[in-house]
Amino acid sequence: MSTRQPNGQLDLMQGTLDLLILQTLAVGRAHGHAIACSIERRSEDVLQVGHGSLYPALQRLLKLGLIVAEDGISENNRKARFYRLTAKGRRQLFAEASKWQRFSNAMARILAPAMEENS
Amino acid sequence: MFGWQRRRKQLLDEIETHIEFETQRNIEAGMPNDQAAQAARKKFGNVLLTAERTREGWGALWLENLVRDVRYAVRNLSAAPSYTAVLVCTLTLGLGCVTAMLAIVQSVLLLPVNLPHPEQLVQIYSTDQTQGFAASPHALSYSAIDTLRRDSRSFSGISGYNMMVRPVVTAEGARIEPVMEVTSNLFQTLGVPVKLGRPFRSDDAKASVALISDEFWRDRLHGDPGAIGAALTISGKQWTVVGVLPRGFHAPGTTGGPIVYLPISLGPTGEDEFQIESAAVIARFKDGVSIEQARDEAQTVFVHAGGTDAERHRVLKVRPYMDLVTGDEQRPLWALLGAALVLLLIACANAANLQIGRTTSRMPEMEVRSALGAGFGRLMQQLVTENVLVSLVGAALGAGLSFIVVATVRRAYGGEYPRFDELRVHPLVLCAACLLAAAVGFIASVAPALRIRRETRGRLTTRSTTRKSRAPGLLVALQVALTCVLLVTSGLFVRTLISLEDVKLGFDPRGVTTLVLMPENPQQDPQLSRAIETRLLHRFENLPGIQSVTLQTRIPFSHYQVALNGTTDVSGRQFQKGDSAHYSFVSTDFVKTSGIELLSGRGFQPADESSGAIAVLVNEAFVTKFLNGRDPSGAIIRFHRNPGDKDSDLPFMQPMTVVGVVENEVQGGDLGAPYEPMVYIDYLALPIDSFLSQVFSMSAQYAVRSTLPEATVASELRAAVKQEAPTMVEMSLEPMQESVSESLGQRRLALRLVAGFGVVALILSAVGIYGVLAYAVALRRREIGIRMALGSTRRRAAGLVVRQAGTMVLLGLIPGIAAAWVAGHAVRSFLFGVKALDAETLIAAGAVLLIVSTAAAFIPAIRAAQVDPVETLRAE
Repeated sequence: MSTRQPNGQLDLMQGTLDLLILQTLAVGRAHGHAIACSIERRSEDVLQVGHGSLYPALQRLLKLGLIVAEDGISENNRKARFYRLTAKGRRQLFAEASKWQRFSNAMARILAPAMEENS
Repeated sequence: MFGWQRRRKQLLDEIETHIEFETQRNIEAGMPNDQAAQAARKKFGNVLLTAERTREGWGALWLENLVRDVRYAVRNLSAAPSYTAVLVCTLTLGLGCVTAMLAIVQSVLLLPVNLPHPEQLVQIYSTDQTQGFAASPHALSYSAIDTLRRDSRSFSGISGYNMMVRPVVTAEGARIEPVMEVTSNLFQTLGVPVKLGRPFRSDDAKASVALISDEFWRDRLHGDPGAIGAALTISGKQWTVVGVLPRGFHAPGTTGGPIVYLPISLGPTGEDEFQIESAAVIARFKDGVSIEQARDEAQTVFVHAGGTDAERHRVLKVRPYMDLVTGDEQRPLWALLGAALVLLLIACANAANLQIGRTTSRMPEMEVRSALGAGFGRLMQQLVTENVLVSLVGAALGAGLSFIVVATVRRAYGGEYPRFDELRVHPLVLCAACLLAAAVGFIASVAPALRIRRETRGRLTTRSTTRKSRAPGLLVALQVALTCVLLVTSGLFVRTLISLEDVKLGFDPRGVTTLVLMPENPQQDPQLSRAIETRLLHRFENLPGIQSVTLQTRIPFSHYQVALNGTTDVSGRQFQKGDSAHYSFVSTDFVKTSGIELLSGRGFQPADESSGAIAVLVNEAFVTKFLNGRDPSGAIIRFHRNPGDKDSDLPFMQPMTVVGVVENEVQGGDLGAPYEPMVYIDYLALPIDSFLSQVFSMSAQYAVRSTLPEATVASELRAAVKQEAPTMVEMSLEPMQESVSESLGQRRLALRLVAGFGVVALILSAVGIYGVLAYAVALRRREIGIRMALGSTRRRAAGLVVRQAGTMVLLGLIPGIAAAWVAGHAVRSFLFGVKALDAETLIAAGAVLLIVSTAAAFIPAIRAAQVDPVETLRAE
């Protein structure tokens, strides 16, 4: 509503970030920092998540009831806020993931000849 | 609020933890401590921005922002009290006027009348002329009403009524009151129950029963619950009160007050007890019937009804009951609402101008906020919040103002104009006013917001400097134009009033007192009435200090007039359709008492009464219409006999001889009405067997000329009546001059309101002009200082300001005059003796505007002249 887009960051599509968060939480609960690192690591640093942009997304997912937040103790014995997938979130993750897979396959088939020509 | 603080802190803590974790990771990766923290922060991005965007997800951020904006606005506004005060006053005036007018329009014109299903109620009427005695020109004959009732299917009730005034005798004495004779189903059709006793029943037509209004019950019967069964004497007959109507019910066409309702009882000749053959008709159509269907069916039935040929050819009209009640008020009220809206526009332009001025001083603040990341939308929100806040304060104060105005109008005119007693400021109007205020606040912030947009877009700043002073100038021009419209319209009304006051009356009301009397029993023998009236006439003549007295059935501007409009034959002229004249019955001293000028021939003489021939005077309009180029003296006039008329249908058969010509005099109660052809007949020469003598014996109207003070004349007359004719009841006694001036009351009220709006508009415009100029001088201080340092004089510096004022005013005057012409055209039906485009009024309005704007420019001009070049240069 009232703030400008931060410039120079790789903007992830909103839905994509949501999906990545859900995927990260599928293996168990995690706090914000862990989620950010996990996304970075698993995408082999291709997807640079602006750590700041994680929080509006988490807020969105909380509101949709796909995840819940709880206080806990981190691996280095610090108090932190942990996020966990709900049953609804899990269903949503599978639905989205398969949709994304189909889309990704379709895109790959469409782009394949062009890439061959270029290379 | 709402735990926001806690959630916000939680979020910020979480983010801090996040950054700490990242720092830790960086340290583990081998970065030095301070670098690690910095890198972590960099990676995270803008913490506050993230927090804000996260909180957007909570959904209530806008509310939080709003609360913050409101707090900020309050602080900001209280820091500039004079600015805020001017702004609030401006908006209070504008919104107050509009709210008051909206409340009046809504109460009078929009809210349905307080009757069940008012949308089904209509008046059935015809505007075609009728013959014979009708209570109103809109009335339909009883036989037609009967046929409609019998043969039409669209209506669930058709009822009729006639209004008259009669002496009503209670146990405590006689007083003249309005009496309404109604068909027994009138109240059933309207849907009005009685609050005491019982309503009329269908078999009441022949019974001597009466209903009374709540006011009559309170005034004349002391609000006694035992008043049911009380006896009233009206027209020599006893009537028993059987019921009291509820408070707040106003009979059709009245504004309340004491009224007695009697059932209409028809005689064998189709006339009722008061010799009236027709009645005004109110009907209620059935569910599912449209007003057009109802009209078409009524017309079909009417054409096939009996009655006279002329009656069958009348074209029926049907209008909603609401139009019958408020028909005359609709156009003036809408016009006044228009004027109030113009005023609001002016106030709105003022507010926008004040804003623009203030925005300039707030530009640094806006730039800083913009630099810190506030989007244009956010800045706009702050501005709009501030403006709407001020507008709402204005609306609240305006609502207070409107409550006062509406209450004052209700008290002053509640009994005078229909439904003015129902005036209220309804919640709906307040809601509308709030919406208007919000709209005004929003519109007023558009111009400053655009300004901010331009200025915060870096590059354009320098180029926009020349443009920035244009908007205020244009807004002032708009104000001047609108003010011009209101001033010209008030000017036209002033000219109308002056023209009306200058109208040649044709009679001299100074020193004349009019007295209207009614015999307690209007049905009494006409010969007896005439004897009493003559006796009184001579008694009055002999009172000390009385110069002359006349009987006159049609005293101009009297509340009670007996009008006779007769088709007229003039010897030596072929009768044409539309040859008719008004007849007024007067006595010997008419010319002397009235002060009317005798142009040729002679006035009445006592000998005329016994000569057998009927001597008459005619007026100039009569001579022009009927006797063009002929010597009027000695001309013979007769009532025209239409084919099929019997002798008894004519007022009388005897020929009338013109003995003199008098000047035209204003008739009726409207100074603006055109002169009508008049015939003045000596009342005492009226053949006693004429049905006119029956009609005229129901009342006696005297005009008395005297040099004594009004109060003395009044008490002398009252004493004489009491002594000489105790059965005569006084209906009105008042100085004629007062009646003449009262006739202008409605126009005066309209003038007062429009002129009031004009004055407010003028004040607002002056404030607007002053504001813009003062601001311009403040901005140009430096420039003026440099000019002076380079050799300009104080006079020229002041001239600079005055020239700017002149440009703005002239820029507004041109479209203003065009718009004033359109407005004048729109109100031309209220005008008299002045055209819609009146040069003098335009010039006067223009001059007033110029003078006021010069005065408004005076202080800024002086300030410009006092700019000290040394000070300016030092500041450089």
